[in-house]
Amino acid sequence: MKKNSKMVLALASVILVISLIAWGYQIRNGLAVTNMRNPFSWGLYIATFAFFVGIAAGGLIVSSSVYLFNIEKLKPFTKIASLSAFASTLGAGAMILPDMGRVERVFNVFLHPNWRSPLVWDVIVISTYLVLTFLSVYVQLLPDWKRDGRGFLNGWTKSREQEQVDALAKKWSRRISIVGLPVAILIHTVTALIFATQASRSWWNTAVLPPDFVSVAVASGTALVLVISLVAVGKERFDEFQEAFRTLALIVAGALVVHFFLVSVDLLVHWWWGKPEGLEVLSLVFGKYGPVYATEILLPGFTMFYFFSKRGSSSFNSLLGGSVLLFVGVFAHRLMLMFPSFNAIPLSLSLPGLGIENWAYPIATGQLKEGMSVFASSWSYAPSLVEYAVALLPFGLILFVVSYALTLYNFVPQKGGLSSRNLNVPSLNTNDIGTLKL
Amino acid sequence: MRLGMVIDLDRCIGCRSCAVACKAHNAQPPGTWWNRVFTPGSEEHQVAVGSNGHLQMNFLPVSCQMCDNAPCEKVCPAGATYTDERGVVLVDYERCIGCRYCIAACPYGVRQFNWEDPHQAKERVGYQEGYEYGYPADYRDPDGRLVYTPNRPLGVVEKCTFCVQYTSKGELPACVQACPAKARIFGDLDDPDSEVSRLVQERQAFRLKEELGTSPKVFYLPPTKSSR
Ligand code: SF4
Ligand code: SF4
Repeated sequence: MKKNSKMVLALASVILVISLIAWGYQIRNGLAVTNMRNPFSWGLYIATFAFFVGIAAGGLIVSSSVYLFNIEKLKPFTKIASLSAFASTLGAGAMILPDMGRVERVFNVFLHPNWRSPLVWDVIVISTYLVLTFLSVYVQLLPDWKRDGRGFLNGWTKSREQEQVDALAKKWSRRISIVGLPVAILIHTVTALIFATQASRSWWNTAVLPPDFVSVAVASGTALVLVISLVAVGKERFDEFQEAFRTLALIVAGALVVHFFLVSVDLLVHWWWGKPEGLEVLSLVFGKYGPVYATEILLPGFTMFYFFSKRGSSSFNSLLGGSVLLFVGVFAHRLMLMFPSFNAIPLSLSLPGLGIENWAYPIATGQLKEGMSVFASSWSYAPSLVEYAVALLPFGLILFVVSYALTLYNFVPQKGGLSSRNLNVPSLNTNDIGTLKL
Repeated sequence: MRLGMVIDLDRCIGCRSCAVACKAHNAQPPGTWWNRVFTPGSEEHQVAVGSNGHLQMNFLPVSCQMCDNAPCEKVCPAGATYTDERGVVLVDYERCIGCRYCIAACPYGVRQFNWEDPHQAKERVGYQEGYEYGYPADYRDPDGRLVYTPNRPLGVVEKCTFCVQYTSKGELPACVQACPAKARIFGDLDDPDSEVSRLVQERQAFRLKEELGTSPKVFYLPPTKSSR
């Protein structure tokens, strides 16, 4: 185990270094090294950002439901849920930075915030969420640290009794969850509002977007908790937590039902009125971007049915597989936020009498290049190699933070006497599970 | 004061002089065009659309519409995009963080990003060495905000400023000066006696994407030469 985690850490570091080098290259040469241009001005970075904001939710939603709704079965996983939430939020925040043309000026958002901008609201809620998830991990680790006589920023617990620290941790994780749940919902609502407020883009401009972001977040965030706990617990001890895993799988499937419901009413409304702009977007969704759209619908659709079934939700491999399919689908979903939207140019005109509907007014691409028209009515965006490399940043960061934390501290409930086999922490006894149940 | 523009589509001959003057006066980097002129409905500019002998060819110049309810300004997280006291929507090149939210928000596709360094871009595409074009000096608004500079910084957004470097001195924007057909009329929409106000009132002036509620300050007079 120790060797394994060292290898994961090394892998994470390599990923981080690759992405940082690519980012450095991009800073030197400008965003021209991406395949974004004026007609298609947000791409892989913003889609990846939205993806990680989504999976960041699950964490606190799981811990909160334990405390708020008394879903006892999930208790063993609150620590790991908070950790995954913290790491994903960090990843999401980091992903935003390379998308900025002038990253060294981002402080302007704090110096001169425009309170009308949904981006400013997003910075506020995501930072709040980052702090809350960090605190949540911190307080849940306090009792263990106290017992083992180590830890981080916990000098103040020295003068206290173990019972006092246990009680304190219990009280504060509860409080943080209570504050955290609305903030978790807010980060999706506000991230969705970045898009939903824009009447210039009919694909985004729908009130369904925020609730849909929340449902996708619950599904993908819970799936991430599922995956991390599966890996942390291991196949051998799967049976021990079968109940909890099944509950998580049901949450994922239930959230997907809501997601598909919202998506279908949204499509129906777009199609029913049949505005040329609306139909154009639909033809992009089902035509040019059909394969990506099929990925976004079919994979999570499969996971939904699979996780509802007894078979899908009761074995280690099926849970892992279903979650991975879901991640791929949700990532496609985030990409589909961009493709149809930017390829339907907002300034399009109809010429009645000539039978011309929806003629797109060409946009200057922003680059003069041999063999390429300066003006474009659509932009077939596919990320460049540099973009892929830069977009590894959050993946590396999350892998690093999670695996590092797992090697350092004890995030999984330990079985008596067996714990030192898994992690390099002193052996703990079965009471541990008791402490977690606080 | 609310500066606005009326573009008479009846007079526009689609010559793109305004686009060229705009590009040159405002030192736009290669591939960047604040002002575009196209033939609506047609794949190519200056090619008629229609069939069976019923052909039509009109021209539509589009630059920043100077929206009163400007989504680009509302989304800008750092307040880099703002409306000055004359109603002109401007971008502070020293404050823009390059997030490009405004490009997504603008319904008119007029915002342009500096994907590469303008200096290098000019070199790369082979503009003659030493060829510098455009108004040569920086222009700062009364608060000291940099809203025009001949060589834009890498990674910021730019767009039409109603030629702030000229109009702040009472001169006309370059496109208005350059139009050989006198299709562009510039003035104060708050002054009921100005030519722009009169045209907006008396002619069937329309605005682009009126249904979005952006309230542009650029008005168009419809073309009557519908077929020829
Ligand atoms: S046309 Fe676009 S850039 Fe100009 S004010 Fe309106 S929204 Fe802003
Ligand atoms: S790109 Fe610049 S001007 Fe546009 S919204 Fe971002 S900070 Fe504001």
